Amino acid sequence: MLRNLGKLEKSVYRTYWNDGLIDLLAAIGVLAVGLLWVWERPVFAAIVPPLLVPLWGPCRRRLIEPRLGMIEFSDDRDRRSRQSLRLVFFLGVGCLVMAVGMYLARDALAVGRDIDFIAGLPAFLLAIMAALTGLLIASTRFMAYALVLVLAGVTGAYAAWSPGQIIVAAGLVMLFSSVVILTRFFRSNPEMAGSTE
Amino acid sequence: MSQPDAIDMPRIDYLLHEPARLRLLALLSVVKRIDFTYLLKLSGLSRGNLSVQMTRLSDAEMISINKSFRGNRPRTVYQLTAKGTRALRAYKRNMTAILKALPD
Repeated sequence: MLRNLGKLEKSVYRTYWNDGLIDLLAAIGVLAVGLLWVWERPVFAAIVPPLLVPLWGPCRRRLIEPRLGMIEFSDDRDRRSRQSLRLVFFLGVGCLVMAVGMYLARDALAVGRDIDFIAGLPAFLLAIMAALTGLLIASTRFMAYALVLVLAGVTGAYAAWSPGQIIVAAGLVMLFSSVVILTRFFRSNPEMAGSTE
Repeated sequence: MSQPDAIDMPRIDYLLHEPARLRLLALLSVVKRIDFTYLLKLSGLSRGNLSVQMTRLSDAEMISINKSFRGNRPRTVYQLTAKGTRALRAYKRNMTAILKALPD
C-alpha cells in the first residue's frame, strides 16, 4: 500500500460514515439516556453504550452494505479506529458515570446560584463524547451534535429543565437529523441486486 | 548532419496513465479490499466503464479479483496486488520526475 495517500484515504474513510446509521444509533443512545433520567433511573444510562455499540455491525451489514457495498480499510487504519473507539467507549461510560454521580450529589455541589448548571452537566459530558466521536470518524455532523448538546444544556439550565429533559431535547434533534440523513441515503442508494459487474 | 541523441526521460506506464484506471488504482491503494458497488460509488464511473477498466487491470495483474456469493447476492471484491503497488509507485516517481523538470 502506498504511504503518501493520506488525504485520499481520509476522504474514502469519511464516506464510510456518511450514511446516517451511526447518527441514528447515537441519537437512540442519547434519547435512551435522557429517558432513563426522566424515569429517574439514571444509573442504568451507563449500560446504554455497551448495548448499542454491538448493534452497529449487524445493522450496517443488513441496511448499508447492500446499498453502498463493502470496503475494508488498511490494518493500520483498523488498529487506529479500534483504539479510538475503545477510548471513546470508555470515555463515554466514564462521562455518564461522572454525570450520574454529580447529579446524585447535586445538593452538595449546589452553591446557591439561581441557574442550575449541574442540570446541564450530563448534556455537556455527552457533548464531549459527541465531539470525540466526530474527531474519530472525521464527521462535522458530530461536532454539530456536540453543539446541540451544549446549547440544550445551557438552555435547559436557564429554563430549569431536569437533566433528562435536556438530554431528550438534544436527542430529538439528533434523531430528526439522523432520520433525514438515513432517508436521503436510502433514496439515493437503492439496494443493488449484487455487488458485481 | 547527425541526429540528436534521444533524451533520457522516465518511462510512463500507459496502462496507468489513463485517468479512470489511475483513479481506480489510487483508490485501491488506500484500502485493503473493496467490492464493485463501493468502487462504483467512489469512482463515479459507469458500471460498464468500471467493469472494463477492472478487467484490463486484472489482465495486467495489477489487481486481484475475488468473486463470491453473500447469501444469494454475487459479490466481486478487488485488491491491489504487489505488482500493482510497485507499478503505481514507479508511475508516481516517474511522473514527479518529468513534472519537476518542466519550467515554471
